[in-house]
Amino acid sequence: MTLVRQAGTIAAKDLRIEVRGRHALGTILPFAATLLIAFGLSIGPGRTLLRQTAPGLLWLAMLFASVLAFRRSYEAEGEDGALEGLVLAPIDKAAVFLGKAAAVAAQLVVLWAAVLVLVAALFDVSLGGDAGIVVAACLLGTIGLAAVGSLFGVLTESPRAREAIVPLLVLPLAVPVLLSGVKATSLALAGLGSQAGGWLALLVAFDVVFLAAGTIVFEYLVED
Amino acid sequence: MLLTAPNEPAVAAEEAAASLSRVTRVFGVTPALVRVDLEVARGEVLLVRGPNGAGKSTLLAILATVLSPTYGSGSVLGFPLDRGRDEIRRRIELIGHTTRLYEDLSGRENLRFWARLTGVDPGRVDGALESVGLAAAADERVRGYSQGMRQRVAVARATLREPALLLLDEPYAGLDDEAKEAVDALVARTAARGATVVLATHDPTRGGSAGRTLYMDGGRIVPDPTAAGPQP
Repeated sequence: MTLVRQAGTIAAKDLRIEVRGRHALGTILPFAATLLIAFGLSIGPGRTLLRQTAPGLLWLAMLFASVLAFRRSYEAEGEDGALEGLVLAPIDKAAVFLGKAAAVAAQLVVLWAAVLVLVAALFDVSLGGDAGIVVAACLLGTIGLAAVGSLFGVLTESPRAREAIVPLLVLPLAVPVLLSGVKATSLALAGLGSQAGGWLALLVAFDVVFLAAGTIVFEYLVED
Repeated sequence: MLLTAPNEPAVAAEEAAASLSRVTRVFGVTPALVRVDLEVARGEVLLVRGPNGAGKSTLLAILATVLSPTYGSGSVLGFPLDRGRDEIRRRIELIGHTTRLYEDLSGRENLRFWARLTGVDPGRVDGALESVGLAAAADERVRGYSQGMRQRVAVARATLREPALLLLDEPYAGLDDEAKEAVDALVARTAARGATVVLATHDPTRGGSAGRTLYMDGGRIVPDPTAAGPQP
């Protein structure tokens, strides 16, 4: 119970800072929109091709945009040595990981909603009757991405690490999320949502593995 | 506090607030602390002086469990540095070079966050802010605070939990007189209730309440070159 309370306190703090800074709204959403437009322009005006590639472009845009969210999540911790305060706090360090993952996930859910609307408008895609599968894939993918990003995002605050370390670590590790998400979304958009169960199960497994790994390993990433 | 030679403990372990034995800390290939032996008695106010790069910050970081010794061993408040980190952290406060505040939160929000996180009654926050003269600016964002105001918030945060050991690493750097007085008042209050204070500072006008002064240079504890009389 203490772990949940501490994680909730950290998540609430992160969300309050995010609301004040409006980073997700002011930077990450325009970035995702720009990516989607660039992808669309590179593919060309063919509506059929745009519809077929929409799931992949949607998940790619979210994946790249989420890297910005992970980076931002730890920026506030580095501004005045605040991360050292969290390390020194007499709390379970897993609470820091879980709190940060929860705050990032909340931001990504908002981002998903905006990006789904954009994809529907730009690529002439209708969610149709399997919208529940798309939403489930997005939510499960969000949890997995938030877990991976919050685990490795802390490395950007390490004096020995460079900023590029997060995308270098996160993007390859997020490939299972990308593949499962694209497949589940494609099936749902094609009206074959009933066949997406296996891909959703893979997303659940990824979430469980990285939430557990982060809870166990995070302490070793932040302690000397 | 008694500075001792190796294998010559001068303060019984149960009485020591902090005890280090041959502690060495190396960054890469650069030693920051070299075979330091130190005992700090409970209730003592210890002043640590020395030039830049002397190892003062590393010493305090090891006592605060921010850093681990590369070699050697030690304990703080009876808990070993290697296995008692959580217990030590429940009983200490560190005021360091950075104030560890969130710039987009107000002073009050920063302290409330810290109180909730560490299980302190958030009702104590207002009193703590008032005690450092920040009640009027408590709801302004820290981003707009001066360095002195930030340090006063850090001082207020250190009073929330009444630590058994207070560690201050250059707490006067860049501060105005009001903030320096807030730090002095914190040291005095902490000492008055019988807790231990270790204060590292360059400022020769501060630390007058210290019971003893330790001088460091090159990562070692050495005789104070500015002292007139015989060295302890």
